[in-house]
Amino acid sequence: MTELLQPLIEWFHQRQWRPFPFQLEVWEAYLRGESGLIYSPTGSGKTYAAWLGPLAAWLATSRPAPPSPEQGSKSKRLNAPPLQVLWITPLRALAADTAEALQAPIDELGLPWTIETRTGDTSAAARSRQRTRLPTALVTTPESLSLLLARPNAEELFASLQAVVVDEWHELMATKRGVQTELALARLRRWHPELRTWGLSATMGNLAVALHTLIGTADYATGEVQAGRLIQGDMTKQLSFESLIPPAVERFPWAGHLGLKLLPQVIAQIEANRTTLVFTNTRNQTERWYQEILAQREEWAGEIALHHSSLDPATRTWVEHELRNGRLRCVVCTSSLDLGVDFPAVDCVLQVGSPKGVARLMQRAGRSGHQPGATSRVICVPTHALELLEVSAARRAMQEGQIEDRQPLEKPLDVLVQHLVTIGLGGGFVAEKLYREVRTSHAYRGLAPDEWRWALAFVTSGGTALQNYPQYNRVVDRGGCYVVENKEVAQMHRMSIGTIVGDAMLQVQYLSGGKLGQIEESFAARLKPGDRFTLAGKVLEFVRLHEMKVWVRRARGSKGMIPRWAGGSLPLSDELTEAMREKMEAARDGRYEDREMQALAPLFQVQQEWSVIPTPDELLIEVTKTREGHHLFIYPFAGRLVHEGLAALTAYRLGRHQPITFTIAANDYGFELLAPEPAPLHAALEDGLFAVDNLLDDILQSLNAAEMAKRQFREIARVAGLVIQRFPGGQKTTKQLQASSSLIYDVLQDYDAGNLLLAQAQREVLQRQLEESRLQQALIRIAAGTITVKKVKRPTPFAFPLLVDRMRQTITSETLEDRIRKLQLRYEKWADD
Amino acid sequence: MTYLPVEIANETLHLLPERALYWPRTATLLIADPHFGKDATFRAHAIPLPQGATNSELERLSRALDRTGAQKLIILGDLLHTAKSREPTVLDTVTAWRDRYAALAIHLVRGNHDRHAGDPPDAWRMRVLDGPTPGPRWVLNHEPHQPAVGYALTGHLHSAVQLTGKGRQSLKLPCFWFGAKCGVLPAFSAFVDHGTIRPRQGEQIFVVADDRVIAM
Repeated sequence: MTELLQPLIEWFHQRQWRPFPFQLEVWEAYLRGESGLIYSPTGSGKTYAAWLGPLAAWLATSRPAPPSPEQGSKSKRLNAPPLQVLWITPLRALAADTAEALQAPIDELGLPWTIETRTGDTSAAARSRQRTRLPTALVTTPESLSLLLARPNAEELFASLQAVVVDEWHELMATKRGVQTELALARLRRWHPELRTWGLSATMGNLAVALHTLIGTADYATGEVQAGRLIQGDMTKQLSFESLIPPAVERFPWAGHLGLKLLPQVIAQIEANRTTLVFTNTRNQTERWYQEILAQREEWAGEIALHHSSLDPATRTWVEHELRNGRLRCVVCTSSLDLGVDFPAVDCVLQVGSPKGVARLMQRAGRSGHQPGATSRVICVPTHALELLEVSAARRAMQEGQIEDRQPLEKPLDVLVQHLVTIGLGGGFVAEKLYREVRTSHAYRGLAPDEWRWALAFVTSGGTALQNYPQYNRVVDRGGCYVVENKEVAQMHRMSIGTIVGDAMLQVQYLSGGKLGQIEESFAARLKPGDRFTLAGKVLEFVRLHEMKVWVRRARGSKGMIPRWAGGSLPLSDELTEAMREKMEAARDGRYEDREMQALAPLFQVQQEWSVIPTPDELLIEVTKTREGHHLFIYPFAGRLVHEGLAALTAYRLGRHQPITFTIAANDYGFELLAPEPAPLHAALEDGLFAVDNLLDDILQSLNAAEMAKRQFREIARVAGLVIQRFPGGQKTTKQLQASSSLIYDVLQDYDAGNLLLAQAQREVLQRQLEESRLQQALIRIAAGTITVKKVKRPTPFAFPLLVDRMRQTITSETLEDRIRKLQLRYEKWADD
Repeated sequence: MTYLPVEIANETLHLLPERALYWPRTATLLIADPHFGKDATFRAHAIPLPQGATNSELERLSRALDRTGAQKLIILGDLLHTAKSREPTVLDTVTAWRDRYAALAIHLVRGNHDRHAGDPPDAWRMRVLDGPTPGPRWVLNHEPHQPAVGYALTGHLHSAVQLTGKGRQSLKLPCFWFGAKCGVLPAFSAFVDHGTIRPRQGEQIFVVADDRVIAM
């Protein structure tokens, strides 16, 4: 064994490095043919841990002469060993960097390996080559991997594959792209039972599950349970969480979205450090903060930048490049900079707004402090007072090892249906065998026969609803083998492979041609010529929308609308909310044990005076009236998603006592029901407003009133191919095929109620959006404790963040006519013709 | 189910919650934008939408005809969604319905979709015209416009309005829209997306709310 590792160790010594013990462990496991998951909160050493094993294995079996330097790239390519390693990365933006990092040992060890990337950015020439022959190592994304599997010669392309490495598995794991990856891996494992799969991941609570989602549950041929190793990476760095404390909390907004009051302190931090990353939670905030920082420090122009997923790729690459070379003082970014190679120059990390979870905060802290012995710290910038409580709680949770799980998805049928068409294109399949194959993945281990039959029917005959339609032509049965023959279907499928959701995005471009980034169609639709908005830190004037592009020119002045991009934000985790409750207990007792809690003391005192600070077993309900109407504020402290569900449930149950229409708002601390008249709270409480019985029925009923299932269906409709966004060539879908997923949902409900995609929407709402089991836990907790109803004169500190929340849903038990009678139509002023 | 009587251009018109307009003086029913066979278009592109939508649309049209006793039906454009809507299930369903109303006179004013989908089959015995038709009373056209003489009845917009109110509530509903010289009918089809319109002071809006039409 050790002699197989010799070349690697020698190479390390040449560079004056010493392998970490965990790296040796991984290499040995790899050489023994094992699979596994490598986890740690920071980046150090994970890449080489996974990469060098395959190199050592290859060296052990073949020692050809290194390629001569004069050898041209074409002949190098032709002489290179066939595909050995597939390296999967979640972001195509990272592919180039990854390939570069992997190239270094290849060059220095003198191996004739070629490494290429294959993503949405890959050139047509490279793609064309890769269609017949893949390089020795291919760096790709889940979508591009699916596209390769959709080729008729897929099995041949992957014939020599030895290993798959999946980077940032924690990012992919709990998403539909992760499921897509699982299905792809199941396919590759069926072709190669000896395939070794290695994952690189951040820390999380449920590592064993993470391992099984990666390596699968059973072997295709033998049915044996797959085994793998969990190996912990380097843990020597210290992590710490700190906050910027506002000077006077009473004057600090109790609500409000941006935290800009702390701008002077943020700027002081940037000044005191060489390179600072400022993480915000939304793209909109990133644009805003960038503008504000620049307004305060004009001389920093060119030294500060922004980075988010809707910026033009060229801009993002430039920022990453400058960051790597230590030439930027500050980058304001979203989670777009969470992944990827570490930036050694970064010595300070700020987090604006709620951290949402302990693991996330740890990961961000890990982006700083790369000098040996340095602590990795993240400094939190609260956007409202209660976020200080979150930081205090996060610190406590980290100390106690309370780190979030990542919940994998259970058999999402839309991804399965998409995969069936992919395999239909990629050589075709025999139904029984493919059923067995997908069941070796963790996500579909529990796929029932009738669910499989439904999915098969969906792609072949269109299902029961299309009985009188013999012309349906998607996947067809050719003598027991299911294939796709229809060229249009093939084209549309290739265009729409991808399970990432989002509104249609439009390219923003200068009239003179330079590209800036993307904005959502819904934002663009509201722009009139002359309107100003900000993107990529520049103020732009909208000229026109033409051929799916937004044409702009540079505008004078410093202000413009900042676009909003949709994108669900994470709820606070259980781990964090638990820790928060404990901290609130301490506040009740007058104990303020850290800087954050001390700063919050005046706010807690006001809350105590006007209302109460609830104990961990107490559900506080505040009742108040404002000009807007009658408010109910309810604080279960169970995370935003649970609160959305509880709000719908509560509104529904209240509505059974009297016809009433509520708009609801929810955040991580509680939810609000607002109505023009007072709600029948006491009658409903007596009737079991928070009872656990009938929970599922009531939730499903209130689901029909709420639009949640329809919203969830948007994504499912796209993945399953019911909604087509783009035609080949990038043109917009013709008007012929335009239908909102909401309409399709209605049609399916009326004419195909047994459609499993509808059931999936409802189930996903229950599990993902409402976190049903978490919701049930919340109700059980409420049932076991006390309920305190407090009539308050005006909204309290706890209520404020809800009060200003603009994202509201409606739940009603009134007739449509009654509702209309209470609403008004606002007329435009008569303009001069 | 009821109707709302309104006075437009000195004529009494009945607004029906079936999303149709009835002109009692000449026993004429008008609808706009039926888009029959839109689901068929999807199926033709291998998108599995269930059949059956055409039937229920025709049932709704039948209800409106039966209630009013109309002798004539005018369709203000976009009868068929696309050429791919000319699928046996769609065509046969409409033909069967047509035979049940054999005595009904049906006129179609061509809309943008009709130009692509082609004229209706002869079996449907529809008189097809290009709008705008000459006045003197109603100028019929698919797209809204300001006629020099007379009052225009049109469709095309799939008109809807946004209503707002206390408690930050809002609602979007299909509507009839009557201006000084032009009226717009809501889309007859249940399977289309709606376009929000912004009416001006003095214009009349009537929203369709399930089973009644309500003046705003």
